[in-house]
Amino acid sequence: MMIEADELTKRYPGGVEAVRGVSFAVGPGEVFGLIGPNGAGKSTTIGMLTTTVLPTAGRATIAGFDVARSPIAARGLSAVVFQEAVVDQSLTGRQNLEIHARLWGVRPAAAKARIGEVVRDFRLADLVDRPVGGYSGGERRRLEIARSLLSRPRVLFLDEPTVGLDPLIRFELLDLIAGLRRERDITIVLTTHYLEEAERLCDRVAIVHDGQVVALDAPHALLAALGSEIVEVRVDEARALLGALRARGVARDDAFAVGSTVSVPLHGIDARDAIDVVTEVAGSAAGVTVRATTLDDVYLQLTSKERT
Amino acid sequence: MTTITTPLPVAAARPASATKPSRAAAFATLVRRRMLLSARTPREILVPLLTPVLFAAVIAPALAKTAHAVKGIDYQSYVALGTVGLLLPISCMFAGIGVIIDRQQGAQRDLLSAPVPRSLLVVGNLAVALLICGLQLGALIAVAALRGSDFRTTLTGTGWFAMAAVLLAVTMYGAAETLANRIEKQEEYIGAVPAIAIVPWFFAGSLFPISSLPSPLAAFAKVLPLTHALALMRYGLVDHRASGLREIWGWHNPSAMAAASLAVVATYAVVFTLVSVKVFARAAVR
Repeated sequence: MMIEADELTKRYPGGVEAVRGVSFAVGPGEVFGLIGPNGAGKSTTIGMLTTTVLPTAGRATIAGFDVARSPIAARGLSAVVFQEAVVDQSLTGRQNLEIHARLWGVRPAAAKARIGEVVRDFRLADLVDRPVGGYSGGERRRLEIARSLLSRPRVLFLDEPTVGLDPLIRFELLDLIAGLRRERDITIVLTTHYLEEAERLCDRVAIVHDGQVVALDAPHALLAALGSEIVEVRVDEARALLGALRARGVARDDAFAVGSTVSVPLHGIDARDAIDVVTEVAGSAAGVTVRATTLDDVYLQLTSKERT
Repeated sequence: MTTITTPLPVAAARPASATKPSRAAAFATLVRRRMLLSARTPREILVPLLTPVLFAAVIAPALAKTAHAVKGIDYQSYVALGTVGLLLPISCMFAGIGVIIDRQQGAQRDLLSAPVPRSLLVVGNLAVALLICGLQLGALIAVAALRGSDFRTTLTGTGWFAMAAVLLAVTMYGAAETLANRIEKQEEYIGAVPAIAIVPWFFAGSLFPISSLPSPLAAFAKVLPLTHALALMRYGLVDHRASGLREIWGWHNPSAMAAASLAVVATYAVVFTLVSVKVFARAAVR
């Protein structure tokens, strides 16, 4: 395994338990997603794996190096793209790249060649000799991802790489990250709260909720468990409707209600028949939609008990 | 938790070999980075110079017309060296602002995830702070000499001066780094600068001998590293009879007193540096 996390726990002074016994293993070359909302514990988990957060309990290794006992060796195999801007704003892009390469032990001649490579691959040629403070959010992100690859890391941590970017830049970056997977022998751990990103990029995802992994599997396997279609109903009394649909045999245990929306995964029942029952129970005024299942549904289904 | 149904994708694994620079290469890179950042922040170099240079070039010559000599040293030269005690602390405290900027808007987290000992980050910053202090000190001494201060020294005297200046700067940088890692906001840090960089200057025999102070304050002055450093610097350049050192130690042997004061400043330098590294490491890892 390239990464192993075993019962990782982080309790901050004051008693806040940000991560509660998280365990997972990531294979070489895998793209692994940690998904969940803000505050779920994803970034703290990444912090423990990258040795900037000290675990309260548990153990983690990167390529066999214990992150607590051999932090320098673990850091030497990995690189991180952080959620927020982590660059020297007054230096040029090239200076930022050079400093990173040298700190990861890349010799000057090799660093120069690799910088040339990433500048070309990440379309940074027009920017790289300008101070980073003048870059747009997307340009800075491209620079940070390019920087992270200079040491040819075995493991790349991408912590919310697309947060705060406009949709166009976001899609461009997702293509770029997908490209890394194709072109480089690299293990990627990606955190995101955009579930469609995880669905698109990751071989497997761990859904993190309230500091714990509540599901871990390939996106298609998680989706398959809920079936391919969902009937979504918007009503005032969502919980009452959910109970009625269960009583009528349309909704199973995996149906869930969040706020004023009831989501009913369809198992062995035709969408048209399900809509007829919903209309009969909730009346024709209810807003009913039939759509394909997404990872959002998987996440909401797993965490909905606490929301209704 | 749902059951895992999908096997892990298995790629041909490369043998694990962590990249890691030599300590010297990492140190050189960190120094280069800090120098590039400082060069783009001229205020870090020029602002700390302003007050000491004005003191040495304007106030000291003016005061020298009314107070001609202190313990046989012409007052202008006496005050010119006293301003070193203002320059070095202010300069080092300004360098500490860079630590806060690194943390809040800079690349500190990337540096923390690098395969280098984290103490090197502090040592790299310290090296550049010393270099900047050296340049500023050269400028201050040159201005004071041009304005008429009389520095007559020997190689040994220059050595005492340089060692005292370096150790005082190391001490003050340790204080700055510690404070920068304990204080969250730049505004709060700047608010704390006068208390650490300027207040000791009033007690340390900068403008007058410490024997002129009430005895409790004189006793307090004797524990300040700045008092020892200023007495040493004056001993090296202008106070060849070691009158400043004698006020601290009361001994007769100038070399012994100089060595004792140097030991005091060196102890402060070592302790403050160790504390700063420890505080940085704690602040870096949550």
